[in-house]
Amino acid sequence: MPETIIRLDGVSKSYRSYARDIDRVLEIITGKSRHQSFNALEPLSLSVASGEVIGVVGKNGAGKSTLLKLLAGTLQTSTGSLSIHGRVSAILELGASFHPEMSGHDNVYLTCAIQGLTRSETDAAYAAIVDFAGIPDFMQRAVKTYSSGMLMRLAFSIATHVNPDILIIDEALSVGDGVFARRSFDRIMEFRKAGKTIFFCSHSLYQVEALCDRVLWLDQGRIKSQGAPARVITGYSEFLQQQAAILAPAEPAAASGAAPVVAVATTHAGVPQVLNVSVRVDGRLAKVHTLQSCQNLVEVDIKFRAAANLPMPSIGVVILGGDGRYIASAGTLNDGITLHTGSDHSGSITLRFPDFPLLKGCYVLEVYLLCEQGLHIYERVRQVAELNVEQHSLELGIVSLAHHWLAH
Amino acid sequence: MNLLLRLGRLCFDSVCVPLGAPLRHASLVRMLVKREIAARTSGTLLGKLWPLVQPGLQVLGFWFMFAVVYDMRSRGGPSFLQYLLLGMLPWLCLSEVLSRSTGLFREFSVLFARSPFPLEVLPSVVLVIPGIVYSTALVLTTGWMLGVVAALKAVLVIPLLLLWCLPLLLLCAVIGLFVRDFGQILPFLLTLLMYVTPILYFPDMLPERARAWMWLNPLADWMAVIHGALTDTVVPINSVFRLAGLWLLLLLPGWLLYRRTLLHVRELL
Repeated sequence: MPETIIRLDGVSKSYRSYARDIDRVLEIITGKSRHQSFNALEPLSLSVASGEVIGVVGKNGAGKSTLLKLLAGTLQTSTGSLSIHGRVSAILELGASFHPEMSGHDNVYLTCAIQGLTRSETDAAYAAIVDFAGIPDFMQRAVKTYSSGMLMRLAFSIATHVNPDILIIDEALSVGDGVFARRSFDRIMEFRKAGKTIFFCSHSLYQVEALCDRVLWLDQGRIKSQGAPARVITGYSEFLQQQAAILAPAEPAAASGAAPVVAVATTHAGVPQVLNVSVRVDGRLAKVHTLQSCQNLVEVDIKFRAAANLPMPSIGVVILGGDGRYIASAGTLNDGITLHTGSDHSGSITLRFPDFPLLKGCYVLEVYLLCEQGLHIYERVRQVAELNVEQHSLELGIVSLAHHWLAH
Repeated sequence: MNLLLRLGRLCFDSVCVPLGAPLRHASLVRMLVKREIAARTSGTLLGKLWPLVQPGLQVLGFWFMFAVVYDMRSRGGPSFLQYLLLGMLPWLCLSEVLSRSTGLFREFSVLFARSPFPLEVLPSVVLVIPGIVYSTALVLTTGWMLGVVAALKAVLVIPLLLLWCLPLLLLCAVIGLFVRDFGQILPFLLTLLMYVTPILYFPDMLPERARAWMWLNPLADWMAVIHGALTDTVVPINSVFRLAGLWLLLLLPGWLLYRRTLLHVRELL
């Protein structure tokens, strides 16, 4: 039985609101309450076992950030008890404690000291921090001379080298771009393999479901549901769809540009790249297609380049509806397809949707180039093409499922 | 009995929590001091020497004005320069600590708003640099003017002064947080206080009537105690009692207000 590393008993967080500024001062002087409370987090009880990967989902304002800040120690609980057995490191606001006039070296020691490391502990971690950040020649320079990328790398390196028992990640599974993004992703995966406890808060439901052992769904400061990722994410997705239905459905953004082939800028060397993407309907290349439901062949051609020093990537194609929600997807990893490349590490693959089965509506295609585990996103190509599907039949819904009627 | 125990506990905490923080968070306090020196001296020619040079220049300025321009001389007691330095260095230390304390929370808000920063270290961070700089300056100056024994006594002056001003520091930090004008007006009030305190002149130069009111000014008591202790003259016991009484009077309110304010600062800034 793994030991409990985090326990919350009736933990809540409320923010004080005062009618007049002086009321806060009077409250401090007299000790008598003069405020109204706004509950960001209702009393919440939770036990997290060592090594668990917990996903946190919820709409903006649901209390996700408040919960993470309580765990990270940047906020104090209003009621209840919070016990954490181990060191917490948070990838929340990287580099927030850096002082621009101090050198990278001194900022490492300052940040580590704020995290509670002694000088000797920081001494022991220093070489690894510098090595991972990859800026050894800049460590004696004031950080005000650093680029934003260098700052991010140093801050991420510190956050993940203070030997945390609990890692808190808000939104992104990787930071920076290009090669460092992949390295930072690998670093987080190392924590997972090492059995560290991870709190992962993200709007990327796919990543939450793929990565987490348990998911908490917060709504209006309360746990609406928690448990197995597939069940909670399904419930949350349905909730989001209901919310989207209440709001006026937005028209999908028109696929940008008129060129039928989306040429993707090659920005980051050393990591896999999408070279170009094109969409054909019955062999006709265009950016915006009009097609008949269940009658046309839709083909997505993707050219990509792998990286020599990294495992072969995987590719995913997503079809989004008019309100931006996912309608369908296909992925090489999920379908057991291995990509192949030539001597120049470039390759191409075509995804085919015969008798395109979606019913009438406007759809947009997106293409993802992902790591070999299908978690880290190297490249996301938005609005590859727009498909305006028309329909003569009276079928209802989004998709026409393959079906047979058996007369008895 | 319980009330007494609670009061005793509060008194103990009010001194030990803020002053014990450098021991509990030694590495952090050291780096914050480094951060402050970098912020103050970065890009300057003298660099890290500035914290030492600055009080020296101030003393030089006062000495020039009062000893040279106004030609003030002692009346059979210590020399004016000696009198000026023994009083001015502790005063500058106190003035720097209190002036800075009004912006204490805002100065460090970038750290505690986004990281698990232990707020209890803040008062000690304000005390460390003035404490080291002015203690060193006072000990060296006293040793140079009055010999080794006086220098050894001088070692205690700044630490005791800072311990005494701790409740004032906490109160100024709280007031400065809620009343931002306080940070602007305090330097003026401190300057005024300096002029009504016998630092730049001997106490017996004040008119008889003014001297009768001097006991209302705790800084005048400090000057009397410092000069008495370091020059081996009389340490007025009444001054010691008044200072101790005022310290005890302010200690609990200062600590309680500061402690309650800590619950608000992360939300407020």
